[in-house]
Amino acid sequence: MIRITGGKIYDPAQGIDGQVRDLCIDDTGKIVETVSGGRIIDATGMVIFPGGVDVHTHVAGGAINFARAMTPEDHRRTQAFIRTKTRRSGLGGMAPTTFATGYLYAGMGFTTVNEAAVPVLSARHTHEELADIPIIDKASLTLMANNEILLEQLEQGEYERAKQVLSWYLWAAKSYGVKAVNPGGVKAWKYGHDAKALDTPIDGYHRLTPGQIVTNLARICDDLGLPHPVHLHCNNLGAPGNITTTLDTLARLEGHRAHIAHSQYHAYGGDGWDTMCSETTVLAEYFNSHPNLTTDAGVVLFGDTVTITADGPWQHLLYKLTGRKWGNLDVENETGCGIVPYTYRPSNVVNAVQWAAGLELLLMIRDPWQVFLSTDHPNGGCFWRYPEIIQMLMSAEFRRECLKKLPDRVKSRIKLPELDREYTLLEIATAMSAGPARALGLTHKGHLGVGADADVVVYEEQVDIQQMFSHPRYVIKAGEVVLEDGDIREAPQGKEFLVRPAMDPATNDFIRPLFEDCYTMKFEHYPVELERIEHPDLRDCQPPATS
Amino acid sequence: MNLEVIENATCTFCGCVCDDIDLHHDGVRIHKAERACVLGTAWFLNHTAEKKYPVALVDGEEVSLDVAIETAATLLHAADMPLVYGMSNTTCEAQKECVALADLLGGLLDSHTSL
Amino acid sequence: MGGKVTCTLGEVKQRADFIIYWGGNPAECHPRHFTKYTIMQKSKFLPRGRKDRTMVLVDIRETKSAKAADIFLQVRPGKDFELITILRALIKDQPVRDEDIAETGLDRAAVEDLVRRMKGAKFGCMFFGMGLSMTRGKHMNSAALLTLAAEMNAFTKFVAMPMRGHGNVTGADVIMRWQTGYPFGISFNRGYPRYNPGEFSTVDVLVRGDCDAAFIIGADPGATMPQPAIDHLARIPTIVLDPHITHTSRLARVHITTAPQGISAPGTAYRMDELPMPLSPALKSPYPTDEEVVRRINEAIAKKPFWLPDGGPSPHQWTSQVNL
Repeated sequence: MIRITGGKIYDPAQGIDGQVRDLCIDDTGKIVETVSGGRIIDATGMVIFPGGVDVHTHVAGGAINFARAMTPEDHRRTQAFIRTKTRRSGLGGMAPTTFATGYLYAGMGFTTVNEAAVPVLSARHTHEELADIPIIDKASLTLMANNEILLEQLEQGEYERAKQVLSWYLWAAKSYGVKAVNPGGVKAWKYGHDAKALDTPIDGYHRLTPGQIVTNLARICDDLGLPHPVHLHCNNLGAPGNITTTLDTLARLEGHRAHIAHSQYHAYGGDGWDTMCSETTVLAEYFNSHPNLTTDAGVVLFGDTVTITADGPWQHLLYKLTGRKWGNLDVENETGCGIVPYTYRPSNVVNAVQWAAGLELLLMIRDPWQVFLSTDHPNGGCFWRYPEIIQMLMSAEFRRECLKKLPDRVKSRIKLPELDREYTLLEIATAMSAGPARALGLTHKGHLGVGADADVVVYEEQVDIQQMFSHPRYVIKAGEVVLEDGDIREAPQGKEFLVRPAMDPATNDFIRPLFEDCYTMKFEHYPVELERIEHPDLRDCQPPATS
Repeated sequence: MNLEVIENATCTFCGCVCDDIDLHHDGVRIHKAERACVLGTAWFLNHTAEKKYPVALVDGEEVSLDVAIETAATLLHAADMPLVYGMSNTTCEAQKECVALADLLGGLLDSHTSL
Repeated sequence: MGGKVTCTLGEVKQRADFIIYWGGNPAECHPRHFTKYTIMQKSKFLPRGRKDRTMVLVDIRETKSAKAADIFLQVRPGKDFELITILRALIKDQPVRDEDIAETGLDRAAVEDLVRRMKGAKFGCMFFGMGLSMTRGKHMNSAALLTLAAEMNAFTKFVAMPMRGHGNVTGADVIMRWQTGYPFGISFNRGYPRYNPGEFSTVDVLVRGDCDAAFIIGADPGATMPQPAIDHLARIPTIVLDPHITHTSRLARVHITTAPQGISAPGTAYRMDELPMPLSPALKSPYPTDEEVVRRINEAIAKKPFWLPDGGPSPHQWTSQVNL
């Protein structure tokens, strides 16, 4: 039992904006009205947030593990977590080891993360890695927009069948929801092509277009009553002028809920690298008038990182542009992934536009319940650099200092110099915790109301915002003090969130012959057994009554 | 002879890791490994459930498992620079324990790959 | 690793109309590779199976795998790197002298034919074995081949994959990467993982006499390593876990018999394309599993004093990161 006294509480879901209140935590790791006895933490003068929630990150699975293999030079120079009697060693950096991933997230007050891209075929592997990420709770999304068997159903116009197949896949992967990456484009990449236009039939299909995949996946997620809507990485990521594709994609959602991943990468104007510019105004305006949508910014931070995405064709382009190492892994019948180390430089006009565009979206989308902190880790920068973003959001003065480092010729291509908005602490708490928790449908996360999971972060209020958010005074996870005075004290195991959508039991027999035709492993070995998930938090989904 | 059949068993002899083998066994010995190749068949048929070797040896003497485990722990703990090596012919679950062992000891960790 | 352009084996089964095996002998070492994953499979995209695919074997001698190949190219021993470099030049239409080609044991017509076929493929895949990665040039050969595969993507879809053997060595590689950041050759002697093949790799460590105890599992270095390495294993306390009494067991202080994986021990093993497969053991072993024994050794060691004096943070820890 813990009672935290004297702290200023920022709990956006309950509209608590810095009021001083006691916060009580019981022995089951929940927030309660009151406790008698137990530890008392004096938080006088401190700031209390619900634990951070990362709606979009890449921390486990074949792709990040590929990136680890490709970046030993970074491991050697980065932060080392020394073995203690009770805690495993690890390495931070661009692609942290699993143990270090838990320490680094908890170390800045984040207690729940969503691994945003898992092929069903690698789900078994990904869950093994997730189990080795200590302290934090985890969810994972399944890649669905380039899946041969599912796409075939959509090609035939078999919507109901497609819905059943998708449900089957989610349960087979022990997943939390649906991720769509470059719909149709990764499938076309299997023969070295891409899908750039939403209305052009995809390579190998007569009718099916990327736009139809978007509409159908959004509808299926809503019809199944999944807690998180379709999580969409649009076509044409990173390309100059892609704002047209992005707006076109959003129109295909036809009023369904959706979360748009790393929208910074999809908000460019111009018709080539020479003319590329930020088109965030129009994208922000779209979000401002469509409350059915949420997004994460996908902020780019200057410095070294390694880019990993299921968007194989984009990574081939990036390899050709940079001439650096290139990893590519096509996953049979489902998806692909590419890995390219990258350095974002302020002197590079394209990078400077990207840097500005991420911040612009965070500042121009008015409702912090709609736009969340992310770097699309590790693509735009590493997650442990979030405090740098928080500082930029909270201080227009600091942004102006940063802008001075950019070349003059970038100024006409960005909107950031005109933006004076400064986030309040309540808005930061919304964008880093309450908003992403709500978008993920995690009702017991992202707030400090009675009954919520006692995931709490306590910061010392400081003038140096980056310092304040990098080094919480206390982090409490499920009622246990896991970090105190800058040191990880405990590394307990977190939970994994799973959904079980309603499904026609005949789907298994329907998929079996299709599976046996195109895969190389036994059908029986494909689904991940529930017993393989160490601490499952399972939610049965039912279609909403109105649909 | 009445044999039990384990369907869809997985062969770990080579990197193909075929997972479609039907093993016909009598509880002690595998008599048939359906769909396995010549290498896989030899792998499955050469192992039995018989107790052919002592459970454990320390300095050539038969000992109990408990004694062998305690001796191994003592020798490894006493070393300044212990080496953990191999991990080819074993499960991922055991491999994870091996990484934990090297981490706990502050030692060296390596596999066949380095050869 | 300098990068790798690869895929899972099902992509090869589904799409690869052009397959090169380089320095490997799948017919004898991976006998079901042809039938289960590559040339013999029919698919939606290659409905006639073997007839829709071309297979090339590059090796220093005509092994049994050559019988399955459409084209066999006999490269002169130790000249793989040169041949790969010539291919990298020719695909980009760079000039190559006849005498340089002749040095590889092949003639210009054969090499240019190969280049034409590679570029004409819809989906090309190169599998490379120990004949490439463990001979003169070693990892330089593998890196050159992986680069060739990456560069081929300027013309058509191309991937490459090592033919890994040795049971579940892929699993060890994958797990070490996620838990330590590195695939092999690791030292924890500063309390966190460091990587330096050549320094921390086992043969080098043993030949230098740098370790003072050895824990050997799922391998028999006493049968395969150079004599000075074996001599050192005999000098120091060595502990062996194996289903059999091995050469290494005979020179060890401790041998523990364990259940063989997949036969009487359950768990998981990784395929060469890094997909995990569950094991279904058929027999009940009188011996414990590796997993159980190593866990119990870990528990026994954890009860003893920890080797770092206070077990607390060191000056390296929690320093801010410089990443520019």
